[in-house]
Amino acid sequence: MVFSSLLFLFLFLPAVLLAYYSSPQRARNWILFIASLVFYAWGEPIYIVLMLFSTATDYLFGLSLDRPNRTARSRKLTLAASIMTNLALLGFFKYADFIIANLNAIAGTNIPPTDLPLPIGISFYTFQSMSYIIDVYRGNTKAQRSWLDFATYVSLFPQLVAGPIVQYGTVANQLKNRVINHAMFAEGVRRFIIGLAKKVLLANNIGMLWDTVVTAQSGPLPALTAWIGIVAFAFQIYFDFSGYSDMAIGLGLMFGFRFNENFNKPYTAQSITDFWRRWHISLSSWFRDYVYIPLGGNRKGLLLQLRNIMIVWALTGIWHGASWNFVLWGLYFGLILIAEKMFMLRLLARTPRWMRHCYALLLVLLGWVLFAFESTSEIGAYLSAMIGMNSASLWDGQTIYLLYTNAVLLVILVLMSLPKGMIIRSVPQSLAFVGHAVLLLLSIAYLVDATFNPFLYFRF
Amino acid sequence: MKKTIIDRLYVWGFTGVLAVMAVLFLVLPKEAFSETENRSLQKLPVFSWDRLSSKEFSKDVELYISDHFPFRTEWVAGKSAAEQLRLQMENNGIYKGKDGWLFEKFDEPDRELLAKYIEAVKLFAQKQTEAHLTFLLAPNSIGIYPERLPWMASAYPQQDINKEIGQQLGDSLTFLNGYDILKPEASSPRPLFYRTDHHWTSYGAYIAYRAYAESMGWTPLDEEQFAIRTVTNTFYGSYHTRSQFSGLNPDEITVYEPKTPLQLELQIVDDGTVTDTLYDESYLDKKDKYSYFQGGVHALMKLNNKSGHTDMSKLLVIKDSYAHSLLPFLAHHVDEIHVIDIRYYNGSIGKYMNEHDIDNVLLLFNTSTFVEENNLLKLKY
Repeated sequence: MVFSSLLFLFLFLPAVLLAYYSSPQRARNWILFIASLVFYAWGEPIYIVLMLFSTATDYLFGLSLDRPNRTARSRKLTLAASIMTNLALLGFFKYADFIIANLNAIAGTNIPPTDLPLPIGISFYTFQSMSYIIDVYRGNTKAQRSWLDFATYVSLFPQLVAGPIVQYGTVANQLKNRVINHAMFAEGVRRFIIGLAKKVLLANNIGMLWDTVVTAQSGPLPALTAWIGIVAFAFQIYFDFSGYSDMAIGLGLMFGFRFNENFNKPYTAQSITDFWRRWHISLSSWFRDYVYIPLGGNRKGLLLQLRNIMIVWALTGIWHGASWNFVLWGLYFGLILIAEKMFMLRLLARTPRWMRHCYALLLVLLGWVLFAFESTSEIGAYLSAMIGMNSASLWDGQTIYLLYTNAVLLVILVLMSLPKGMIIRSVPQSLAFVGHAVLLLLSIAYLVDATFNPFLYFRF
Repeated sequence: MKKTIIDRLYVWGFTGVLAVMAVLFLVLPKEAFSETENRSLQKLPVFSWDRLSSKEFSKDVELYISDHFPFRTEWVAGKSAAEQLRLQMENNGIYKGKDGWLFEKFDEPDRELLAKYIEAVKLFAQKQTEAHLTFLLAPNSIGIYPERLPWMASAYPQQDINKEIGQQLGDSLTFLNGYDILKPEASSPRPLFYRTDHHWTSYGAYIAYRAYAESMGWTPLDEEQFAIRTVTNTFYGSYHTRSQFSGLNPDEITVYEPKTPLQLELQIVDDGTVTDTLYDESYLDKKDKYSYFQGGVHALMKLNNKSGHTDMSKLLVIKDSYAHSLLPFLAHHVDEIHVIDIRYYNGSIGKYMNEHDIDNVLLLFNTSTFVEENNLLKLKY
């Protein structure tokens, strides 16, 4: 099930809200858990077994780690067992065909691909489970004794399918004690509406520009069109993903949960280091806490630090998809981050601010080219279009057409990427209310118009 | 204090909207057919564990909800209005051109598929060695009036596609390039195509008929031999439905009534109806007014001209819906016209021709349909 669908908005959500708020406090986790199962099973009637299996084993592993009088070695083994189970699930269902294809290419074998469809959300819930186990192992949190509460944490429908990756510590208390009042619910409503609008009104529409640019062109792509195209993609992926995170956070608030922010105006970054503190924050935090720091972080000398950075970024890349271009994308940023750490940031500090913004945006845009295409030949073709190295002209009639028919949208996208304070000091609450109402109604109109509305990051 | 009131408004406003639409959806009666969209709407989904695990059930439910969503047409119109507000010149694949002209986008066709379709037509022509085959390929409005597209909007030139197809098939049959036939008349104040629909007007069909008649060695009827009557001027066609653009003037449908009326018998083999007219007036009161011509699409029709004075005894027309407004003209020249819609007829056309002793064929298609019509492959059998 997708948040931005009529089914979710007008059948599932009202039903769950009704059940939740008309039940006594102690039944509420049951309601959420069952609702989450229905939500997940709707899209994955078979793979739900996997999710439940992963949940059950990690619940048991967690309890086992908390038992008194365990040797350090046996605890380590339990930890390893849990991590291996999760990675095995993830590795098999997501990366099996990738591994097979590479094996066939290198070793000349002829293993047939599994052709298994990717279970929705597997990259998110396995990472959530692993964060729990590692936190219990480290003693950062006590194991969750209630299977219901643990299962609710893993399967919580607001964030199960596409994040943010909620670390157990963030919600541990909230599982048992949730504050719910009008203010929090209203905040959730506002957040949810903004997220819905970002996805349905902004991302989907600018995505059409990208689709037009990228589908078979009769002739080589003019440079300007290529630039407009990748800017469109950059906006699409940002508003799609952050919109979905907004909806997840908003829904969480409606049920009394407060999740951490996942995006913080990433396109206002002044360096790539800054960018990655603002984009998909829950993922970079996860890799920092559970891979970078355990590997030694920056505490074991420069050489190891560089190694650690590259490992983390290769993994970040491959997490995004079972294809080499994602690894390339990750390593690309890894190298830039190293360069920034070594000298670039100091250099940037001496440049005017507008230059820093241009520097960051340019590198981010080039990164998106690596991200958008799976084959290196397509990447190469697009990059050469961007620098005008193909036989096309600088611009053509279509460039102008795409620009003026999307001008209003592009202006809105730019404004929405900037920090709130920059445009208007503050909006009177009644005006904001009308604004939210209009956005909700418009989003419904767009949803009705399109009967199908997939979420970009659904590779997960 | 004010914040708490506003917060409550958010809470109840939001849940209110969800609740009201949900209740309306559940309670309002469901229609089986949408006139606006000209298709039947999803029926109540049938549950079974099989269908659940194959994800068919969830797809059906989602379609059911969107098909029967309350005020569906109004929501769709709202989206179109918003798109127009943001200066978008297209919606759902339809351009909003100058002077209220709508055009369906035409991009470069899939070359592989097109080659397959051309091959199918060639094979068909080669098999029917004794038959005389003509292929009339009509362009669409976007091919004839590209100057009316929105500023800087592009369309792949249908002129080129028609020429290419003609070059490939010219040796196997008589190819009539609809683009070359209609383009000279494009500057006429009388439109060759509808502004809001994908079909050609009766005038456009007349021009094509004239060219076909000449190629067959017949004497085409002159326009003076008809009383050209407007049967409706409130026609909003397929392009309008898809795009929902507002503020557009409707189209006029005209009928060419022969001054010397013909005695006709039209048999619609699909449902067995027999009538003496080529027109179904009941459609003029519905949304799909183009179905005024023979009541819309049928897999197989037979038209008998009982008046005599004809040039040909039997003709088979293999077509898409462009033929409907051309048929009234052909009726004057042929005793028996068999009309097969390639999209819906499932038998072997070769066999049909043998059974009915037909050795004159007219293939009549429009470019947009031809480059994507998978059913053309049926010609091979």
